[in-house]
Amino acid sequence: MVDDVFDEVGLKVEDLHASYGAVEVLRGLDFEVAAKGVSVILGANGAGKTTTLRAICNMCNTSGKVTLGDDDITRTGTAEIVRKGVAHVPQGRGTFPELSVLDNLMIGAYTRKDKEVKDDVDRWFEIFPRLSERSDQLAGSLSGGEQQMLAVARALMCRPRLLLLDEPSLGLAPLIIEDLFERFTTLNKETGLTMLVVEQNANLALDMADYGYVIESGEITLSGSAEKLKNDPAVQEAYLGA
Amino acid sequence: MTWNFDVLPDFIFNGLSLGAIYGTVALALVLIFKATTLINFATGELAMLGAFLVYVLHMEQGLWLWLSMLLAMLLSAGLGVLIERSLTRPFDPEDHLPVVLITLGLFLIINAVAGDIWNYQVRILTNPFGKFPDWVPSVGGDRFVEVLGSRLKYQSIGIWVTLAVALFVLGLILNKTRAGLAFRAVSSNVESARLVGVHTGRTLGFGWAIASAFGTLGAVLVAPQLGGVNPNMMATILIYALAGAALGGLDSLGGAVLGGILVGLIQAVLVTWGGVVVFGQLYMSILQLAAAFLIILIVLLFRPSGLFGTRRVERV
Amino acid sequence: MSAPLVVVAKDSAEHKRWQYVQWLYLAGFLLLTPLVLEPFEIGKMNRALIMSVAILAVNLVVGFNGMLALGHSAFMGIGAFVTASMVQDENWDYWQVLPVVLIVGFIMGVVIGLPALRVKGLYLALVTIAQAAVFPTLVNIDELGIAARTGGPNGKGVSEEVIAPSYLEWLPGVDGARGGSAYRYWIIVLMLGITLLVITNYLRSRPGRAVLAIRDNEAGAAVYGVNLPVVKTMNFAISASLGSLAGLMWCLDKGFVAGQDFTFLLAIDLIIGLVLGGVGTIQGSLVGGLFVVWVNDLTKRISIPLGLYTLNGDGPLAKAIFGLILILFTFFAPGGIVSLARLVSSKLIKVVPLTPAGEPIEPLSNFDPGMESTRADAAVKLAVVPPVLLAIGWLLMSVNNLIVGVLAFGLRMTILMAPVAMLVGSNELKAHAAGNRPDSVQGPANMARLLGAAGTVFVIVYAVQRFVLNY
Ligand SMILES: Nc1ncnc2c1ncn2[C@@H]1O[C@H](COP(=O)(O)OP(=O)(O)OP(=O)(O)O)[C@@H](O)[C@H]1O
Ligand SMILES: [Mg+2]
Repeated sequence: MVDDVFDEVGLKVEDLHASYGAVEVLRGLDFEVAAKGVSVILGANGAGKTTTLRAICNMCNTSGKVTLGDDDITRTGTAEIVRKGVAHVPQGRGTFPELSVLDNLMIGAYTRKDKEVKDDVDRWFEIFPRLSERSDQLAGSLSGGEQQMLAVARALMCRPRLLLLDEPSLGLAPLIIEDLFERFTTLNKETGLTMLVVEQNANLALDMADYGYVIESGEITLSGSAEKLKNDPAVQEAYLGA
Repeated sequence: MTWNFDVLPDFIFNGLSLGAIYGTVALALVLIFKATTLINFATGELAMLGAFLVYVLHMEQGLWLWLSMLLAMLLSAGLGVLIERSLTRPFDPEDHLPVVLITLGLFLIINAVAGDIWNYQVRILTNPFGKFPDWVPSVGGDRFVEVLGSRLKYQSIGIWVTLAVALFVLGLILNKTRAGLAFRAVSSNVESARLVGVHTGRTLGFGWAIASAFGTLGAVLVAPQLGGVNPNMMATILIYALAGAALGGLDSLGGAVLGGILVGLIQAVLVTWGGVVVFGQLYMSILQLAAAFLIILIVLLFRPSGLFGTRRVERV
Repeated sequence: MSAPLVVVAKDSAEHKRWQYVQWLYLAGFLLLTPLVLEPFEIGKMNRALIMSVAILAVNLVVGFNGMLALGHSAFMGIGAFVTASMVQDENWDYWQVLPVVLIVGFIMGVVIGLPALRVKGLYLALVTIAQAAVFPTLVNIDELGIAARTGGPNGKGVSEEVIAPSYLEWLPGVDGARGGSAYRYWIIVLMLGITLLVITNYLRSRPGRAVLAIRDNEAGAAVYGVNLPVVKTMNFAISASLGSLAGLMWCLDKGFVAGQDFTFLLAIDLIIGLVLGGVGTIQGSLVGGLFVVWVNDLTKRISIPLGLYTLNGDGPLAKAIFGLILILFTFFAPGGIVSLARLVSSKLIKVVPLTPAGEPIEPLSNFDPGMESTRADAAVKLAVVPPVLLAIGWLLMSVNNLIVGVLAFGLRMTILMAPVAMLVGSNELKAHAAGNRPDSVQGPANMARLLGAAGTVFVIVYAVQRFVLNY
């Protein structure tokens, strides 16, 4: 459907099906994320966005083909996929409530063997001072927004090649959201981090993204450059509140 | 029956040392429960097997006792990993029945194999804390010191020190090592643990390993109080440990230890009430086991998450 | 031979005939047991049926409600001791004790179930395992006159034997003295039958359906307004009550109860029977009881020849085998014997459901000459193999009085296979007459019908002969 849209493909998904029990939630998705690019997935509640991200990480019952760079990761275990450089910020709380904030960040770097882990922790504490103040507090006792910050920071601790974000703005104050998305953009520009973002805040997401897909009932119904989607009347009506 | 307060300090010391042992076994239970929300009913039998390993290495092969204990703990840990890998990993941890059946099956098999090899006889195992070593100045006798006009046995002191050291090592492992961090992460949130690249299966194996080692330690410590090792030695101990774990909170490691100690104390007080004095040997009065059962019921009735449980216990 | 031997439409005469065969097997089994077996073997059968009742009780919680109950030995013990005490000390009749035992069991179930079932997770398993461990020691408590009632460590005997009233002398197996295990067998069968009736109806009732709904989808059941703790506790209490009934039957059968009969090991035996038979099926509980007693017995007999450790003829072998069974069944046959049997019977007979209009939803035969004839061939084999085994056994026995096993095996196979072969044969002939089979099927089908009929007649004659011999 969107074959060879990009010069270099970061993530390629072909004919992806997923089901919970007998219910088929994804019904053959094909899409790509350009290497070093940012793609966004839009869709109504229950369309299957979260399931798409979970399927990429092999966290549910799937069939189809998922390729990361040149690697076929369709049958690879979740932990191994992470080791190949995929970080996933799950929807809601992806933190470890019984671990301290610091330990949450440390476990985020579980796959890393280099010496710069401490520096990265400091960097994230700089970015999110609220976390720094609470570094010994249990993550479960953080506020929802603080947990969301922690989840993002934790995911980036593994220095991923590909970042999957499931509604990162959920529950955050508007100012923080803007700040966060600015950081994502900087990360993308500076380090060339590939991103696949699921977002309800379509305006913000399309600003950051260079390509977008719209999912309805487990199928891709629309795709195109971020500009094109922004100007699409259907998208405007459904997701941009125009 | 009447209260017999003269012997109370004796029994409190006794209760504290027994309780420490229950705490050790409860720890083995909780280590696995925390990570999987499963109760390993073979914990006691694995521990018994570990004690017999010490018996074989020390009494039969003549190895130094502490070395035998260390080796037995390592071997138990290996067995724990093996069991996790081969018998429990294929099953969905959310579905309790199969894994509980597997642990019950293990309970039967280990007990039967031990019974066939060692014939259900009590076999004497050297008490690691029988007599004070020579370099300790004598303050009362060579097996106890006088405290509050009562005898504080060397055995009790030894058990406390051993447990303290073991807990310290466990704390180091869990808090300072990568594997320990991974274990805590898996206990806290399995899905997120996978999402940071933790191999949950291997980590659970690690939990089984530590749990088995701790069980073995508990069995070796309790053996002298039972007169030695035998294949059924852990049957009642496991019930006390279960009560201790429930009392402390099934998902709290510290709670397990404190819960075990509390159970030991309650047991000691009950013996005082019974007015029966049996020195040296663990006195299993009828009421004591019933007390363990009652503790579980009362905890469930009034505080299902236990005294120190952290995870909110879901009401249905 | 992957196609089923016989395909019948649901509720057709054909289907009914197969159901009659099943009932005949069951009736034959029940009737022949006291006739064919020696008195001590009837005693074992009694134990097995009592175990079946207890396993059914466990099944009610584990299989039908999805909760883990591991301590039903204690409920059995309570039932047994209450019975022994009332019958021996108060001179009550067993029938008078029955309601008391049921009520006591129910109350115990509420007391233990309520705290444990309010919270999610393995707490019921925790409590019940402790309960099983504690029960044997409680019996020995001197306070409150408990030990006096229970006999303490010595156990309690009931001195009066259960004797058949004169108007029941005619019961198969009951001898002139009107006592013995055969009469108790019939009481137990009656109680088991009533239990089955009550339980199947309970599971079909509104509360029963709530119990099943909780097992299948707890959150969903709660959404539909099922009061989870109450339904679970009631179900557990009914199960405890049933467990106590098994205890009453135990006392009635053995006339002696002791604390060490009701240990954790008995509780595990119940779990094993449950898994072995099939979790969540009524038939499974029945089969499970038989197998537990049978395996226990078998291991006792082979422990000494195998040179394994035994104490009073009782060794750890049974435990090892049960442990292995638990693990192997959990891995390879989680549905138990019942699911294996269903697998076999699905090869044997396929029941095609009907459309609302009363037509089979799929054709009873897709005519395929090559394949169809194999059914008749298979039926011939079914009919031929058991008698051949029987004959070999006979021959070997006359030569050398050793090979009784082959004979007994052949006989049992004949009992099982001959009626089946006969029915398959006539089924194929009918299909041929309806134009659904090639002519080549006629020969084997006729043969199967003939041999099967012969085998069936032989079995009937054999049974009648045993019956006559016994009177
Ligand atoms: N664990 C599950 N079991 C059964 N069905 C599920 C499960 N998770 C999701 N579903 C179903 O799959 C469908 C898609 O869910 P998904 O979470 O992917 O939606 P989504 O697009 O992320 O929605 P939202 O915007 O609300 O987060 C929904 O209909 C949901 O009910
Ligand atoms: Mg979602």
